[in-house]
Amino acid sequence: MKIKLKKRLKGYKGDFILDVDISIRKGSFITIFGRSGAGKTTLLKMLAGLLKPDEGFIEVSGKVWYDSTMGIDLPPQKRRVGVVFQDYALFPNMTVEENILYGMEKKDEDLLEMLLSLTELKELRKRKPQSLSGGQKQRVALARAVARKPDILLLDEPLSALDIDMRKKLQEELQMIHRTFSLTTFLISHDFSEVFRLSDKVFVMENGKIIKEGRPDQIFVQERISGKVRFSGEILQINREDVVYIVSVLVGNNIIKVVADPDEVQDLSVGDKVVVASKAFNPFILKSE
Amino acid sequence: MGADFVQTLFLTFKLATLTTIILFFIGLPVAYLLAFYNFRLKSVVETFVSLPLVLPPTVLGFYLIIFFSPDSFVGKFLEETAGIRLVFTFEGILLGSIIYSLPFMVHPLQSGFSSVNRSIIEASYTLGKGKLQTLWKVILPNMKQAVLTGIVLTFAHTIGEFGVVLMIGGSIPGETKVASIAIYEEVEALNYGRANLYALVLFVITFAILIVVYTLNKRFTKAENL
Amino acid sequence: MNRLRGKIVNIESSESISLVEVKTDIGNICAVVVETPETAEYLKVNNDIYVLFKETEVSIGKELSGMISLRNRFECVVEEIQKGKVLTRLVLKCGDNLIKSVITTRSAERMEIKKGDSVTALVKTNEVSLMEIPDGS
Repeated sequence: MKIKLKKRLKGYKGDFILDVDISIRKGSFITIFGRSGAGKTTLLKMLAGLLKPDEGFIEVSGKVWYDSTMGIDLPPQKRRVGVVFQDYALFPNMTVEENILYGMEKKDEDLLEMLLSLTELKELRKRKPQSLSGGQKQRVALARAVARKPDILLLDEPLSALDIDMRKKLQEELQMIHRTFSLTTFLISHDFSEVFRLSDKVFVMENGKIIKEGRPDQIFVQERISGKVRFSGEILQINREDVVYIVSVLVGNNIIKVVADPDEVQDLSVGDKVVVASKAFNPFILKSE
Repeated sequence: MGADFVQTLFLTFKLATLTTIILFFIGLPVAYLLAFYNFRLKSVVETFVSLPLVLPPTVLGFYLIIFFSPDSFVGKFLEETAGIRLVFTFEGILLGSIIYSLPFMVHPLQSGFSSVNRSIIEASYTLGKGKLQTLWKVILPNMKQAVLTGIVLTFAHTIGEFGVVLMIGGSIPGETKVASIAIYEEVEALNYGRANLYALVLFVITFAILIVVYTLNKRFTKAENL
Repeated sequence: MNRLRGKIVNIESSESISLVEVKTDIGNICAVVVETPETAEYLKVNNDIYVLFKETEVSIGKELSGMISLRNRFECVVEEIQKGKVLTRLVLKCGDNLIKSVITTRSAERMEIKKGDSVTALVKTNEVSLMEIPDGS
């Protein structure tokens, strides 16, 4: 799969050019990482055919979706994409079930049942989206996007509005769906732990350009501190303990507790992305059973 | 209550119903175009749509007469080729009403289209659905309030119109004499009783329609905020 | 975490471990790191760098005599003392810099540390980390 796109964009600090040239292995789980305004959503919309690039080329599974030199520009209907929008974009006039069925080319009861049970929506099938929680809406959006059996799945920060527990659960479901339907998945995210947990490959985007690409551990573990033991994580809790603070950090599926000075804790808050580092001299290694 | 009274009321509602139905299908594409597309002559189209709001109805009626009178080029052409005469006929007042009520259908629909969340439209496209299917299945069901408002405003406005119909239709019983004109004539003839009868019927019916609309609108809003 | 800015004045390396000496306002600080100038770009003599060490790794000596292996020792005055049930936090003034130390309350009481005392802060070289100064700051 090849993507080569250019488009002039308006940013809050003046115009800039989105210029991306990447190739992707089929079946991989890709994260596009970057600040807001870097052009991530624009890139996704151009892939889906919702936004026209100035020039470029998109090829997916041997099929050309867009080619400015040949004048090819498949409409979104003809591109096999599933999109999960940031605001989920569920149809308010349809029930959960109808939302998913709408995504299918032919009514497929078996697929519907499978998607409903995969996303644990069976009991909610007759409900309207307005009465669902954020996590449930997100699942409906995911099931609907997959119902069309797309080649690629595009996810625009689908988990950012959810709390940590729900996010973790959905990350697992997302991974399962990615594998079950052998999709090539693009996830927009600015959440370290999410990127680490889900993706095979990360593209870091800044001002419309890909400035780095590679495995998540290659990208995010920068050799900045001489510490050799280092984890990226998210602060779960900050507790005062005697004259110091104990900061609990979620790293992967583990919680690490770190002692911190009151002065340090001042600029930290729950939910912050942090790096926990230690010198190579301190940790013990114990063989696990 | 004579036969001509019933005939006049029937004609009034026939005109309003037909105007509304036809305008819905004309207003839909016009509003869709104005809401979702940018094109060069957009402001010109918008101006034409809004013109009946500010123009005295007699101006519109006057030009329609000039334009479609059997002596004019267009009027002659229509009469010779299609056998249609638009001056002092029901078809004529229908056309006048359609033009005159155009903004009352287009404006609510246009703002309805703009209010629909863009991403559900895009979602429908990415799910492989075309523009027409998206319009019927996704866009319109999510702007029921706007559709209802457009239909009701058009209907009520057509019932209440006077100037255009009088100019292009005259007052031919059973053909172009609608209730609002009948009231005027009864008053001129000092038949206050008859005039009051017409006025009361119009008042009651219009009031009933509007109250139904406001009740329904409240229900839609509630459903949307569930 | 204590953080001081300094300049690398000397680097001694073996296969993969280096002893780096950094000149700071409070005197020279040594750090042992599992890096060499070949593996880490910032390890260059005359490079500006941050020296980091955790307050829990700062030991306190009072009226020290005899020999001690610790190379990083700074003469300080106790500026502030906060006693907790188990731990005590000290803020030490060393020249114009403040160094923080966390020791057990038991030790603080045994040594009778109070505000205004002259003490020596001691840090083992292997507890000192170095951090590159990000561009522009």
